[in-house]
Amino acid sequence: MSPGPEPPAEDQTAVGGVHIKYLVHCPRQLWLYARGYRPEQRSDLVAFGEVVDDTTFTRRRDVDLGEAKIDWVTTGAVIHETKSSRAPAPGHTAQVRHYCLLLERRGVNVRGGVVHYPLIRRTTDVVWDDGARTEAEDTEAKAQTVIAASTAPDRLLRSKCRGCSYLDYCWGD
Amino acid sequence: MPAVGRTYWLTEPCRIRREDNSVRVERPDGSPVRIPITDIRDLVVFDHVDINTSALSLLSRNGVTVHILDHYGNHAGHFSPAESMSSAATVRRQVEISADDEQRLAISRSLVLATAENIRWALDTDLLDPALEALRNALPACRTNDAIMGQEGNFRRTAWAVLDSRLPPWLRMNGRTRRPPTNAGNAFISYLNALVYARLLTALRSTPLHPAIGFLHADTDRRRNTLALDLAEPFKPLFAERLLRRAASQKHLKESDFETDVGRASLSKNGRKKIAALVREELSTTVHHRGLKRQVSYEELMHLEALKVVRLCLEGTPYKPFRPWW
Ligand code: SF4
Repeated sequence: MSPGPEPPAEDQTAVGGVHIKYLVHCPRQLWLYARGYRPEQRSDLVAFGEVVDDTTFTRRRDVDLGEAKIDWVTTGAVIHETKSSRAPAPGHTAQVRHYCLLLERRGVNVRGGVVHYPLIRRTTDVVWDDGARTEAEDTEAKAQTVIAASTAPDRLLRSKCRGCSYLDYCWGD
Repeated sequence: MPAVGRTYWLTEPCRIRREDNSVRVERPDGSPVRIPITDIRDLVVFDHVDINTSALSLLSRNGVTVHILDHYGNHAGHFSPAESMSSAATVRRQVEISADDEQRLAISRSLVLATAENIRWALDTDLLDPALEALRNALPACRTNDAIMGQEGNFRRTAWAVLDSRLPPWLRMNGRTRRPPTNAGNAFISYLNALVYARLLTALRSTPLHPAIGFLHADTDRRRNTLALDLAEPFKPLFAERLLRRAASQKHLKESDFETDVGRASLSKNGRKKIAALVREELSTTVHHRGLKRQVSYEELMHLEALKVVRLCLEGTPYKPFRPWW
């Protein structure tokens, strides 16, 4: 079959936090997302996430990086990210590391990050050091490679797709 | 499926206003009903509705489509939110595929064939086998969409005659007529077809596809959303033909549910309500889906159908139109 469409140029230039989170979960999801198929915008899971986001931190300050929206940044440049999920996932940490990288490139002296899970009253600290920076740069490069590929990455094992908002798309045939 | 909110069927005249983040539906009798905007997926309007711009902008901002059916059950039009989920990458591919004769004709043929097979399934008869065979043989030679539609017309005429033979005289179609439908059978089919089309249009709106770029129907079709028309085809038998047959055998529909005049027929107020209830029930009927490993409703099947076209555009996965597997 003919190769799939190229991602739109304007989407390709910037890798945001969501891209990173998806890459870590499933490269295929990232590839689809980068081409504008975004079922999660309509899923109630996400709607729920937005509610958690809106109500948990009332004194937050949004930092808009263009590429990525950061929940809030406390003094001393600690990046906070709120998740409505009940289980910490590697993608969440990678996402925060990516924000650290983006902020640092803007000249901010980043100290680290925290992922908040209000539903389970937990937080996960994300360290920011040389090792973390290298890791973040690698992840970013990987994301760019996946996005630029002309064909979609294969599906994961069916059992790993549980809860993914792309499930109907990937398995609905 | 990305189920945000539900479809609301407005079968009675009413007035729609905005109240904070809710939609207030005022019916002539009874107190107004308030529905939070996030609970609404789309509105299907069967009767007179008075709506103002403040309500419309609330609907628009929340991605709600309003479908309007005219007195005869034709899709009279719809109000669509300004923002769509369309993505440039997908739409560009959609345009390329529909402009490529080979690919477009292949999709058109498979749509027509699947639809014919689904009619046979819905009528559950081997009387249609010869016509189906003839269609199967004729399609490969069709080099234009008009030729394909012509073959489909031949098959349909046979199918409707077979369907008529299962209906009481008052419900027989005696040939398909639209705008206006000339008899009760045609009025029923018009309504059901319009509803299926509206469901597909709503399904398409949650995908990155553009509903106006289709494969089988001509771009010049009055309704213009040719992809929605295309994808509605294989589903029509599941709803229209099948329900007409069932309504007749269960004597659920009565002659009094229609208003028939010389040369025109439409559903009565009560008839419209019955149909809305019937279709709602059908849309929520579920079947087991092997790939998804769960029950999916008929409504979701339409959403999955739209996703097949997304897969075609994004990954080149051949589009196989819906066929009931149960
Ligand atoms: S459904 Fe599975 S394969 Fe598809 S994007 Fe999600 S995780 Fe990846």
